[in-house]
Amino acid sequence: MRIRSFVTMLAVACLAIPVAAQQTPPPTVAAYDALADTILAVRRAELRLVASLLDAHRGAAEARMKGGDWQGAAGEIALFANEGDNAVGGVRKRLLEGGHHFNAEGEKQGAFEAGYVIVTRAAKEKLLAASAAMRQATSDDARRAAWADFERTSAELLAFD
Amino acid sequence: MRPASRRRLLALAALGAALAPAADAAGDGLRFVDRAAEAGLVAPVWCGRPEKPHILESGGSGMALFDFDRDGDLDVYVVNGWRLAGREVVERGRNALYSNRGDGTFDEVAARGGVDDDGWGTGVAVGDADDDGEPDLYVTNFGRDVLYLNRGDGTFARRDDAPSVDGWSTGAVLFDADGDGDADLYVAAYIDCTLDEVLAAAPALRWHGRQVMLGPFGLEGEANRYFENLGAGRFAERTREAGLADAGLFYSFGVAALDLDGDRDLDLYVANDSNPNYLYENDGAGRFREVGLWSGAALDRRGNAQAGMGLAAGDLDADGLAELFVTNFHTDASTLYRNLGDLLFADATESLGLVEPTYAPLSWGASLSDFDLDGRLDLFVANGHIYPQADEVPEVSGTYRQRNLLLRGGEAGFTEVTDEAGAGLAVVESSRGTATGDVDGDGDLDLVVSNVDAPPTLLVNESERAGGWLAVDAPQALLATVETGGRRLVRHRVAGGSYVSASDDRLHFGLGPARRVERLQLLFPGGERVELRDLPVDRLLVVRR
Repeated sequence: MRIRSFVTMLAVACLAIPVAAQQTPPPTVAAYDALADTILAVRRAELRLVASLLDAHRGAAEARMKGGDWQGAAGEIALFANEGDNAVGGVRKRLLEGGHHFNAEGEKQGAFEAGYVIVTRAAKEKLLAASAAMRQATSDDARRAAWADFERTSAELLAFD
Repeated sequence: MRPASRRRLLALAALGAALAPAADAAGDGLRFVDRAAEAGLVAPVWCGRPEKPHILESGGSGMALFDFDRDGDLDVYVVNGWRLAGREVVERGRNALYSNRGDGTFDEVAARGGVDDDGWGTGVAVGDADDDGEPDLYVTNFGRDVLYLNRGDGTFARRDDAPSVDGWSTGAVLFDADGDGDADLYVAAYIDCTLDEVLAAAPALRWHGRQVMLGPFGLEGEANRYFENLGAGRFAERTREAGLADAGLFYSFGVAALDLDGDRDLDLYVANDSNPNYLYENDGAGRFREVGLWSGAALDRRGNAQAGMGLAAGDLDADGLAELFVTNFHTDASTLYRNLGDLLFADATESLGLVEPTYAPLSWGASLSDFDLDGRLDLFVANGHIYPQADEVPEVSGTYRQRNLLLRGGEAGFTEVTDEAGAGLAVVESSRGTATGDVDGDGDLDLVVSNVDAPPTLLVNESERAGGWLAVDAPQALLATVETGGRRLVRHRVAGGSYVSASDDRLHFGLGPARRVERLQLLFPGGERVELRDLPVDRLLVVRR
């Protein structure tokens, strides 16, 4: 509906343009400006949503760690590394099918996997290593070391404005 | 359904059948020869148009090695697709059933047997769907899938109310998911599309300066499904209740069911194209939990989702835990996941020498089997590109038709021996499904390979033998362990596997120089064990519960 309204506005604005006009009519600019706000807001919303999803996995990992559920903590770390579970992966697949790449430039440079928003390839490798280390750990020292690796990497990823 | 408590060891029959003597020479040469044409495996397997404008036309199909008429030798079921030209269906290929004459040559009997389905076929599963002791067939199609119930007289009855997955279903397994003694069904699927879309497809993706088929991204995934066996060949869908909902609608191909964590039930592994693979842990009662990411078996060692096509499973280090080998796209290695126990896997592709040989080809079916009978699992991989246009830029990723791959298993990993493996490994086709079994009854393992738009390949094993063998026919066993000559060998029973195919499910051991098996132990679901001692080699042993 919004797009239809915008197109209608644009058509009306075009009819009002004198043939020799040198300026885009202000209503058209205003409409485009409003659309830009929406586009950018949606992008910010996607970033925030994925960040909250990651934070939920981080929090769940912490809770499981404190409860002595090392395997559960390792699982949450793996899901953080994958930027969500398979259901989220399905949404990411849909977005890619629609041509949406949040980090298109980062993907070209090899820094991001297709469709990933926050977790870089390098960070994913570290996080999966932390998850595996947590699962294999047989001492508290080893678990603490794995947890420290996860905390450091996850904090770096979530430290954005 | 039968309660688990009613399952008990009913009978054990050990039928010695010396089929062929083993050579004494230490084997150091894996050799295969293609005998498909002279054996009668001559019908082409179709898959769309030569230029492959739609991804459905790239998938090819699978095959099964099983003894449908219970005459003691292995028969071959070959799934067929359709041949297209332009926007027309030129030929609806019919599935073929090749009945073994007992010497590794065949008569085609699909029409007589009632299994000559002319749907656009992809995969096949073998199992006893109606609990009558006869092996039945489930065929996945682009369109309605088909269940054929074996009457036991050389013919099959097509079940009209059979479970089915719409769209393009691919791999399937019949396996006892809930421990009630009957065979449940899991069906993987790739995409949902219509025949009109396939017929109207045009190459829409730019690839190295060429127009090629679109996909899989940009295409709508189809959901994998699970059907519980209600008895007598009737099934009810229980996907969500069983915890097997395909949340991501990932593009699934190969499927295998086996006990991966040693808890005496059957887990499921699904190879997904361009997405993380699924590993479903079974709680023993048919409720599953997807633990792929957690386990380390969903991604490669760098954390990348790969283009999973097919898989093979086998216990490389005799610790009772099966490793997983998953085949992938070209210019990306296939991945071997070492099983560390408790469903934790580590990518051991590099340390086992598998990166270099598997990096260039585009790989599909695979088999981890002891082809030279030295007690170590070797590896066969079927290869073939999806883009015929690859022939115009062979320097990028090889040609459309590719050689298959053979690697010899050794102490420190695998060594590629394709070049030395005889004329059978010189065959150049665009191969897909492959199944393993002793087709000619000489005690070693042969291979059948499905090729796109060509007849199958029958790779008869003429390897120099490193020793004797033992085959164990125990359809309900999870695994068998052999102790002989100071060595311990473990073979897992794998339902499904390879690429949309079904291998002979007998457990096959190469024994090296040992002339007797000191101890054979079979492990059944629920933990029942059967132990036999001091067995002669070069035998087929039949064990029934």
